[in-house]
Amino acid sequence: MSKSSFVRVLITVMMMGILLVPLSAGAQAPDDDTLVIAQTTDATSLDPPQVGSRPDANIIAHMFATLYDIEADGNIVPYLANDYRLSDDGTEITFTLNEGLTCHDGSPLTADDVVYSFQRAADPENAFTGNTPGFVFASVGYADARVESELEATIILERYQSIALGLLSEVHIYCRESYEDRTLEEAANFPIGSGPYQFVEWVKDDYILMERWEEFDLREPGFERIIWRVIPESSTRTAELIAGNIDIIANVPPDQHEAVNNSGAAEIQAVAGLRRIYVGFNFTDQFETAGSEGAEAIKDTDVRVALQYAIDVETICSFLLGTECERASGLVNPPNDNPDLEPYPYDPEMAEELLDAAGYPRDEDGVRFEVTLMAGRNRYLNDVDVVLAICQYLDEVGVRTNCELMDFGAQFVPLLVSQQAGPLYFVGSGGGNWNPLYEMADFANEASNPNYGFWDNPEWFDRWRSLADIRDPEEERAVVNEMLEVFYNDPPWLLLYSQPDFYGVSTRIDWEARRDEKVIVFDATLR
Amino acid sequence: MTQYLVSRLLQSIIVIVGVTFFAFMTLQLAGDPTYLYVSDRASAEEIATIRQRLGFDRPLHEQYITYMTRMVQGDFGTSLVTKMPALDLVMTRLPATIELTLFAMILGLVLAIPIGILSATRRGTPLDGGIMLFAIFGQSMPSFWLGIMLILTVGLGLRWLPISGHVPVLQPLLSGDVGLAISNVPDALRHLILPGITIAVFSLSRNARLIRSTMLEVLSQDYVRTARAKGLRERSVVGRHAFRNSLIPVVTILGLEFGFLLSGVVVVETVFSWPGVGRLVFNSINQRDVPVVQAAVISFSFLFVLLNLLVDLVYARLDPRVRLN
Repeated sequence: MSKSSFVRVLITVMMMGILLVPLSAGAQAPDDDTLVIAQTTDATSLDPPQVGSRPDANIIAHMFATLYDIEADGNIVPYLANDYRLSDDGTEITFTLNEGLTCHDGSPLTADDVVYSFQRAADPENAFTGNTPGFVFASVGYADARVESELEATIILERYQSIALGLLSEVHIYCRESYEDRTLEEAANFPIGSGPYQFVEWVKDDYILMERWEEFDLREPGFERIIWRVIPESSTRTAELIAGNIDIIANVPPDQHEAVNNSGAAEIQAVAGLRRIYVGFNFTDQFETAGSEGAEAIKDTDVRVALQYAIDVETICSFLLGTECERASGLVNPPNDNPDLEPYPYDPEMAEELLDAAGYPRDEDGVRFEVTLMAGRNRYLNDVDVVLAICQYLDEVGVRTNCELMDFGAQFVPLLVSQQAGPLYFVGSGGGNWNPLYEMADFANEASNPNYGFWDNPEWFDRWRSLADIRDPEEERAVVNEMLEVFYNDPPWLLLYSQPDFYGVSTRIDWEARRDEKVIVFDATLR
Repeated sequence: MTQYLVSRLLQSIIVIVGVTFFAFMTLQLAGDPTYLYVSDRASAEEIATIRQRLGFDRPLHEQYITYMTRMVQGDFGTSLVTKMPALDLVMTRLPATIELTLFAMILGLVLAIPIGILSATRRGTPLDGGIMLFAIFGQSMPSFWLGIMLILTVGLGLRWLPISGHVPVLQPLLSGDVGLAISNVPDALRHLILPGITIAVFSLSRNARLIRSTMLEVLSQDYVRTARAKGLRERSVVGRHAFRNSLIPVVTILGLEFGFLLSGVVVVETVFSWPGVGRLVFNSINQRDVPVVQAAVISFSFLFVLLNLLVDLVYARLDPRVRLN
């Protein structure tokens, strides 16, 4: 055979090969022992103190255990620890570990490892920027940790904090022996955990594979393996779900719900999420100085109350978010909210009456005052549409609202965290259902984030400070209710809704989505 | 030839330095990246501390000079998000991108040649019209839309091919596991077809049109007429005399083609969940992971410049008029 003939034959065989390849099976459905979950982004790090995003935290939560655990209904239950005690002044919490715990490399897990996990996370040399050092330690006032005995470790706080147990339940524990001699790069890529599943493989931007750690008996997972796939495009995620290749996906856009529900292979689970979506009022003087008449108007409590009546939240939910929802009555999610407070109804006439009474009548053009509403794009569910709808609703009661939509990360967040967003700003704040104070901590201080608008109502902040001296839960609840009433009557937020979350779940499994955006699958089982 | 080579090398270096400068400036001009590394609850002091730690408080020219000095030493910095060397992140994903790009390039070229020739030799027939219609359609379709359509029809509707994902061949090959690489080939091909077609359609259409037009030009040359007059079979006239000469412009665009395909993978890798450099760039831009974006852009530009240099040298070899000019 001549050289050119050989090349021709080779090309023909290759082309036929390519054409015949499709004839083999296309889809690769997971086996009965494997659960496949698709997330939008890959993990950035598998080192617990470096973990800051929800997708990363979901993965970590299956490989690393915590001292206590927050269940889906908000109950805080023992996990690696079986008990805890609080010192008299409330600044020291001593945890008692279960016996016989080990990490995935076989190292015994003792109190020293708990102390190491806390101290490593707080060590400035490591420069961790994840949720544990960045939020938990700052919120709980973490000072240090020490070993009491082989199974007892004490966490030392700067002050008493009634939600300390819940906050500390977000700190993942691992063994000193597993991590002490490792570089940060090794720790980020090859985790050695302490939880129900052990790390097997991470193919960057593709998948993470974990297998059940048989020696862990504090949880009984329903699957031997979990594969966390990364599929950034929502249409692709949905197609994989319908094709039966994926068991769970999060953040299904409303326009894809029908396709999922009609597929027979999967269904949509809609849950009332805990992320509180609101329009904040900025009370700083910068906007008045710049000549914004709306900035002055919103400092008037009566105006802010009037504006609550101008927004039809139920319609926003049903038309723009694809689900029914109840308007928020405050900054605390049910069931921890104040039950005596009714959400403000949609009543534009009432809004107009109150605005008239507050001294802001319509002028010849029908405008009461102008105000700017700033928002980032594409961070929350259908946020652009929601913001435009809010601007429209405010316009209808005579408040001419200029919607300023911008890039969320590059433009909006810098303005927000430097308190320069406003006079109105649209944003969401993550919540929890395990203690109202966790959500109320958004207003822990008059002049620091996430009190982005510098709301400084003394009736709120005096009570907030008094909580540090209250140990009785009933007394604490009474103060909480009073504070929520203050918030309701002098609202620093234009109250909207808690963002609904949509999960696509394969019909081959039984699994219930949680309200707190966590994808935890220990209780998932094959149907 | 040496003078030509030196001149092209110098031009390439200038291009790479220019790319590094623009990549650096574009990212810096988009805003202060510090805010992506602080919690919403961070105070002004914490933000300032982190800004200082990350080096974003230093003048831009200082940041750039430091970066260039390190880059020349092979240090592209550490990812601000993953804490891993930026170049390593790019290199671990490069094999997947090269697999996809090469596949699309081969698909685009191997199919374009017969289609272009067929269209040229059947000029003015309904077949020619149909091919040109397809070519215009192929060039007009956004790759994002085409990718989704292929997923919905071929992947989900017919269930012929995987909807997303990647099976590696180059990676095990580079790490010496030839057996795994070979055993992965059939599955890898199945995963390559949909994203490969999505990327290749545009260049296939463009190449087919280019080959058609150059073929038409060559077919009207005197030497082709002479070949026909000598009584050669039409197959020989087209294949041996016309086709070879019509390939010169195709060789020229091959280098550019690679660059075009590399830019196309950013969208396609996202749609098909392909773990390549395109997605890394996309994610890193969103996370404002400056060192990774810079490492990826510079690696891409280096590859692009290198390939074009090679193409120019081949071209100069094929056509001596180029180096003489």
